[in-house]
Amino acid sequence: MEQRWPDWIRERDDPRIAHTKPEALDDITVLDLSYKNFAGCYCSSMLSEFGAKVIRIEPPQGDFIRSCTPYGMLYKGEGLNYLSEGRNKHHITLNLEKPEGRAILKSLVKQADVLIETFSPSVMDGWGIGYEQLKEINPGLIFASITAHGQFGPLKQNPMPDYDNITQAKSAIQSATGEVLPKGKSYDECPWAVPTKAGPWIGWAQPGTFMAVGILAALYWRGISGEGQALDVATTESYARFDDYAALWYQETGIVNERFGNLDTACWLYCFAPTRDGAVFLGGLRLEMWQAFADMVGKWDEWGAASWTTLQTFMREEEQLKWAPLIFAETRKYTSEELVRMSVEYAQKGRLAPITAVVAPVCSPDEPMKDANWLDRGIFTPVKDPVYGEVIVAQAQHKMSQTPIRTRWVCQPVGHDNEQIYSEYLKFNPAKLAQLKKTGVI
Amino acid sequence: MAEETWQHYKEKKHSRPAPLKGIRVLEVCTLILGPAGPGFAAEMGAEVIKCEIPPMGDTCRDLTPFGYFFREQGISFVHMNTNKYWLGLDLHKPEAQEVFKELAAAADIIEDNLRPAVMENWNVGYRQIKEINPGIIYISKNGFGQWGQYAEENRPSNDGASQGFSGYSRLSSFPNQPPLKSRLYICDNYGALMGELAILAALHYRQRTGKGQFIELSQTEAIMRAMTWVWPYQQITGKVAMPAGNRDVSVCPADTFRCTDDNFVAIAAPAPEEFRGLCTAMGRPELADDPRFKDHLTRLKEDNATEILKIIAAWARARTPEEIEKLAKKHGFAASHIWNTREIVEDKHFRARGFMTEVDDPILGKYFDHEFPVMMSKTPPKIKWGCRAVGFDNEYILKHTLGKSEDDIEKLYDCGALGKWADVPTRRPPSTWDGKAGLREV
Repeated sequence: MEQRWPDWIRERDDPRIAHTKPEALDDITVLDLSYKNFAGCYCSSMLSEFGAKVIRIEPPQGDFIRSCTPYGMLYKGEGLNYLSEGRNKHHITLNLEKPEGRAILKSLVKQADVLIETFSPSVMDGWGIGYEQLKEINPGLIFASITAHGQFGPLKQNPMPDYDNITQAKSAIQSATGEVLPKGKSYDECPWAVPTKAGPWIGWAQPGTFMAVGILAALYWRGISGEGQALDVATTESYARFDDYAALWYQETGIVNERFGNLDTACWLYCFAPTRDGAVFLGGLRLEMWQAFADMVGKWDEWGAASWTTLQTFMREEEQLKWAPLIFAETRKYTSEELVRMSVEYAQKGRLAPITAVVAPVCSPDEPMKDANWLDRGIFTPVKDPVYGEVIVAQAQHKMSQTPIRTRWVCQPVGHDNEQIYSEYLKFNPAKLAQLKKTGVI
Repeated sequence: MAEETWQHYKEKKHSRPAPLKGIRVLEVCTLILGPAGPGFAAEMGAEVIKCEIPPMGDTCRDLTPFGYFFREQGISFVHMNTNKYWLGLDLHKPEAQEVFKELAAAADIIEDNLRPAVMENWNVGYRQIKEINPGIIYISKNGFGQWGQYAEENRPSNDGASQGFSGYSRLSSFPNQPPLKSRLYICDNYGALMGELAILAALHYRQRTGKGQFIELSQTEAIMRAMTWVWPYQQITGKVAMPAGNRDVSVCPADTFRCTDDNFVAIAAPAPEEFRGLCTAMGRPELADDPRFKDHLTRLKEDNATEILKIIAAWARARTPEEIEKLAKKHGFAASHIWNTREIVEDKHFRARGFMTEVDDPILGKYFDHEFPVMMSKTPPKIKWGCRAVGFDNEYILKHTLGKSEDDIEKLYDCGALGKWADVPTRRPPSTWDGKAGLREV
């Protein structure tokens, strides 16, 4: 190969040239009716980044999710989560509670490939626009529903609204995440040593992504068979699907996976360790890497690293609890940066080089935005939005040589595209739109 | 109606086609970020050939909670390596590289999760494979992508490093406490899922144009994409996004509250009717009209949020989670106690939907595991079988897929290009294996 691989591929997938390339899904039209549910909104973002034409259909007062914003903060009238997930979407309003609104929806459905909705099960059916009704007018339609409990099963009629923190609680993930209550202490003394939820809205983003994967698989199938279908994601199931070995472990041993702080039930060496100025992640999933760590902190002889023969014994609970404080006593002697550097240097001249332990900084969220590596890779390149100006949202996470994703705009106000979309799809003229607005249909 | 669409879904699952039927995937992956993606594809019906370096194969075979083994297999490995075909191929050897190329010539997708350019050094990189199969969709997943400072430094990564690097863990902890690692391998699994998303978008593009492409995926970039409000918040305010424990700073009220007997309940009630319902349930209907709490944006303001959460905490403290769940159902807000794995495995709803699905594996026996969480009415994804020993399907793949003779195969074994499992637990079949079960007829 004449050209180095990283240079060759960068010439082809650098986000800076994304706008010169075609888009994977630019033949697909998506109607996003999701309401009060970020999973639906994020799902349609996953498709609009690949170039699908996504028409968000909001009630005339706008989607409640726009008001779900940290500390109630608005930027130019917009909530910050929505500012990130309105991306590349066309925004129209339509009142589905009115028969006239539903008739308009049906006309749009005839021209769409995918419909995403998040109403309680039976709401769409009750309105006469459920899957069985809509497939009559568009047999190729992919009808995607995201709800707390799904479209069938004993809890189908439970109308519990779907929220991220509820999904995290109900998926058994929260119960297994968090600091362990120190022996002899109570929750009054340690209110932080409790089952702990993770991340900003991962319990919504993850089911939204799963549904986007399902939609694309259904599109592939439609390409083969010509048939559309209905898809059903229950957010709790979706998030629980990432719970790895937990179900199998319980069935076979009766053990319920519990909180284990910053250690890991199934891996060694694998933990967050305190440092003089913060914390680092330590990883050494092969015996030699764990030995390299012991060597790096000067404990090769004292810990008897040369005599270790397998990692499996270290994975046991009692062994982990014995070793963790010994390790932390060492890592506390250094700053995070020193430990990262020690691991890099060990790879060059350590006893077991090039083998070394993974040592990574545990960053504060402002650090990635300043990190030259991520800036170079285009993750935080500001989007020049015609309405909101220069806005930084995470983007360009899929680098692709033929059909890279891109963010053309970040968001639009409620009803921004009413004229354009209704004229393009349904040939409504301004007089008709004015009348629909007056009667509260749009 | 939805009843009609989903009738007998679980019972008919195995007699219906899967959406990616006919798609062939070659996997050269280890641990979780790599193998989980083709695992999803395999559950959606793709034919996934997992190539492992014999005799030890995937390092993930070693990882299992507290050293517990199920039929002598690590249970993380069982969980994410479903429906695959198993090839023991030592890609260091030229003869093995030729076998790989023959498979690649008739494959649709190749997935690796090695450091940049390793596949190319083995003569099976994207540039080499596209010469024999221009339609190939080739994804490399790792910590830092194919180019940029960290990729050039050849830094290793894994889930915990990515949780640290992205700021995800910092945001998933309590204020003034150390950052907390999620119990999930969230950056591995989410990165894997985002990888499949890009693959399926590329497959759609190939269905239209015949063109393949290369995709690079950094797990840290993928998780940062899901952290929505964090980036515009930091850009706009110049402040660092701060952890808030179990409180959702974008939804109010939404938090986890302590109940009687050291139990916990998660509550969310941001929409007007939900908040009013919660206030009524608390016997404090007047709070819904309190100027501090009257609408969602006002309620989200720091002082007001702190105040209402304090009021709810005091109320919840004297109640059981079950009482609060009942009130939530009655008054139309969301509440859930903190579920554990036992409840997930035994839950009637999850069983009825087939989310907790019984796998009947000819070698591993019967066990329940999480089904692929997108239910598809016409093409249900499903788990058909679990993991196998290193090189288990060698003969089947070489004879059936490549049409090799016994002689060819023997030569490949002789030169070490082809190999089978090491005679140790986690690599070999369970000792109860009869030498036949699970093998495919050639």
